[in-house]
Amino acid sequence: MSGANRSPGVADVLIIGAGASGSVAVAKLAEAGFSVVCLEQGGHVDNGEFYGDKPEWELMAQKRWHPNPNVRDLENDYPCETSDSDVNPLMYNAVGGSTILYAAHWQRFMPSDFRVRTLDGVADDWPFTYEDLEPFYDEMDIEMGVSGLGGDPAYPPGKAPPLPPLPIGKIGMKAAEGMNKLGWHWWPGPNAAPSRPYRGRNQCVRRGTCLTGCPERAKASMDHTHWPDALKHGAKLITGARVREITVDGNGMATGAIYIDRSGRERRQMAQVVIVCANGVGTPRLLLMSKSARFPDGLANSSGLAGKNLMMHPYAAVSGSFDEPLESWLGPAGQTIQSMQWYETDASRGFVRGAKWQVMPSGGPLGMRAAYGGKPLDEAWGANLHRSTRKVFGRSFEWGIIAEDLPEETNQVVLDPSLTDSDGLAAPKIVYRNTENTHRMIEFHLARAKEAMAAAGAVSMSVTPLMRDCGWHLMGTARMGTDPQRSVVNEWGQAHDVPNLYIYDGSVFVTSSGFNPTGTICAIALRAVKHLIANRRNQRVAA
Amino acid sequence: MSTAIDGGVRAAFRAIADVLIPAAEGMPAASEVDVHGPVLDRIIGLRPDLAERFFRGIGAIAGLPPETAAVQLNAADPQALAAIGLVASAAYYMQPRVRELIGYPGQEKRPGNPDETPEYVANGMLQQVLDRGPIFKPTPKA
Ligand SMILES: Cc1cc2nc3c(=O)[nH]c(=O)nc-3n(C[C@H](O)[C@H](O)[C@H](O)COP(=O)(O)OP(=O)(O)OC[C@H]3O[C@@H](n4cnc5c(N)ncnc54)[C@H](O)[C@@H]3O)c2cc1C
Ligand code: SF4
Repeated sequence: MSGANRSPGVADVLIIGAGASGSVAVAKLAEAGFSVVCLEQGGHVDNGEFYGDKPEWELMAQKRWHPNPNVRDLENDYPCETSDSDVNPLMYNAVGGSTILYAAHWQRFMPSDFRVRTLDGVADDWPFTYEDLEPFYDEMDIEMGVSGLGGDPAYPPGKAPPLPPLPIGKIGMKAAEGMNKLGWHWWPGPNAAPSRPYRGRNQCVRRGTCLTGCPERAKASMDHTHWPDALKHGAKLITGARVREITVDGNGMATGAIYIDRSGRERRQMAQVVIVCANGVGTPRLLLMSKSARFPDGLANSSGLAGKNLMMHPYAAVSGSFDEPLESWLGPAGQTIQSMQWYETDASRGFVRGAKWQVMPSGGPLGMRAAYGGKPLDEAWGANLHRSTRKVFGRSFEWGIIAEDLPEETNQVVLDPSLTDSDGLAAPKIVYRNTENTHRMIEFHLARAKEAMAAAGAVSMSVTPLMRDCGWHLMGTARMGTDPQRSVVNEWGQAHDVPNLYIYDGSVFVTSSGFNPTGTICAIALRAVKHLIANRRNQRVAA
Repeated sequence: MSTAIDGGVRAAFRAIADVLIPAAEGMPAASEVDVHGPVLDRIIGLRPDLAERFFRGIGAIAGLPPETAAVQLNAADPQALAAIGLVASAAYYMQPRVRELIGYPGQEKRPGNPDETPEYVANGMLQQVLDRGPIFKPTPKA
C-alpha cells in the first residue's frame, strides 16, 4: 500500500463504522499519515442532547436513549429481527458507536480467556495470549483515561490504570463488606471515566447516567477520546453514510464500498484497504450483503462462519434492598466494585468457564417501576406505590452477572428475508439460544450472588435470571484463527479470503470471556492497526 | 379519538392519576403536585410514542368513577393503563416537592476527591482481599 501509486479519489484506507474499534483504527492511521475515510451511518451526538442532568432523564431513557435500536426506532438505526432470540442486541449508531451509551466498565480479559481449549477442552484457543495483548491494554488505558486501582489479584501483576479510582460509594462499601465476610474476591471496578480532568474531558461527577449518555463530557466515548485528534490529522469522516456493499474486483480484492447518503443517493468510496468496524451484528450483516459472483455466500465467507458463533453475554442479576439509605442513584454507572471470585472453571460445579460480577447503582424512582404493567392494580399502585418506593428507592443495588456464553454455530446473525432498514437494506435476524452450560452457570452464580447480598445485609432481594434487553456485548460473528476453514480472519483481523479486507470489531472474538469486551476490542484493534502500519509496504491492494 | 389535551382529558387524567398515586404514607396525591398541569403537555411532547395509548385509555374511561375506571382499564387494556401510569408517575417524580420527600436530589453532581485515600484502603478492607493472594490461572506454557 502506498499513497504514491494511488489514483485520486482512492483512499489509502476506508473504515466502516465510527464506533470503538473504528475510531482507534482511524486515529492511528491518520496520525501515521495515511489518507483515511470513515463511513458512519449515524451522525454526531452533542452532550447537550443527553437528559442525565435534567428531570426528564428516566422518561427519556425508556425511549430516545434506550439501548435497543428497535425501541429507539431512529433513522440512523437499523432494526433487528429478534423473534428467535433469547436476548435483544443493543447498540448505538453514531460517531462514537455504542460507546455513546456504554457503561464504561473498562475491563481486561484474564489469561485463561485466551486458552479455553487448552484449559477447559471447549471452543478454541485464541491466536495470541494475554501477554501478547497486555502492552495494548496498557496503551488503551492511557488513551481512554481509565480510573482504577492497580494490584487486583485477579490479574497477573502489571501497570496500574493512569487515574485513581472513582468513589465506590455506600453501595460499593456495603457490597464489599459482604464479600469480606465470605472471604470472596472484590476490587474497585475500573471505569473509562476520568476521576480528574483528563485530555480535554471533564472529571466524572458521578451523575450515574452513563448508560444514557454522559452530559458532562467526562465519559470516555470515542467521539471525545479519538475523533478530535483523528480529524486534526486529516481523517475524513462521512456521516449519514450507510454502507450497503463492500465492492471487489475480478481478482477478489476489495476496492471500496457503496453507501447510501441521507438524501437516498448511492455513492461509492474507493480505497486500497477496507477495514470493517460495524460491530458483531453490523459487520456480518455487511459481509452477507456483499454477495458477488466471486463471493456468492457473502464476502470473506468461504468458511461459512460469517455471522455464526454470535455471543451476547446473558446477564443475570440479584438486587437487594437495605434498611439504611445508600444514595444508590449516585454514579459511576459504571461499576463501583467487581468480583472474579467465581470466574475460573471448576468442573465440579457442572459447567465450564464463569462470570464477572459487578455492583451498579439502581437509578431513580421511575426506572424501578418499569416492570409493573398488567399487575393487580393495588399491588403496583395506590398506597403500595409509596410504600415500595420508600422501601427500595435509594436503598438498593444490584450484583450483576456477566455470564460467558460459548461459541455455538447455531447462534447467528443472518439476513432477514423481509424486514429492512429505512434504506431498504435487509435487516439482520438474530438467532440465539442459551445452552445448558449457560443455564447451569447462571443458576450457580445467582445462588452465590444471593449469598453475597445476604452477607451484605440485604433485607429483601429480587432475582432476574435472564434479562432480555442485555445484548450489550456483540461478539464472535467473524472469528479469528489460523485455519481459514474454521475462522474468517487471522490474528491481525485480515480476512483469509480477501487480503486487503480487515475486521477489527468484536466480531473477531474467538470466545466471549465473562468480561465487558470493549477494552479488549480496542486493544485488539490497536494491535492490528499497528501491525498494518508497520507492514504497509507488504500490503497487497487492488490493482 | 381525540389527541388534544383539552379540559376534559386533563380532568379525567387528574382523577385516575389520584387513584394510582393517592395521598398516603405521608406523600401527596398526584393532583396536589399538578401532574395534570403543564408537565402533562411536556411529557406527551417529549414522548409522542405514549400518546396513542394514553388518549385511548382516557377515551375509554369517559364518565366512569375514577376507581372503577382504573380497575376496568387495567383489566381491559393494561397497555393503556401502563401508559397513563407512566405519564402520571414520571410527572410525579419529577416534582421537586416529591423528590424532597423521598430524599432524591436527582442525578446530582457529586465528584469525588481523587487525592483522598479511599476508605476501603485506609481501614484495611482491601488488604483482606490482597492477603488471600492471586486467584487467576496463568497462561499455560505452550
Ligand atoms: C448500553 C450499553 C452499555 C455498554 N456497556 C459497556 C461497558 O460498560 N463496558 C464495555 O466494555 N462495553 C460496553 N458496551 C459494549 C460496547 O459499547 C461495545 O463493545 C463497543 O462499542 C463495540 O465496538 P465496535 O467497534 O465493535 O462497534 P460499535 O461501537 O457498536 O460501532 C459500530 C459502528 O458502526 C456503524 N455501522 C454499522 N453498520 C454500518 C453500515 N452498514 N454503514 C455505516 N456504518 C455502520 C454503527 O452506526 C456504529 O456507529 C455497552 C453497550 C451498550 C449498548
Ligand atoms: S457517572 Fe461520570 S461518566 Fe457517568 S454520566 Fe456521570 S459524569 Fe458522566
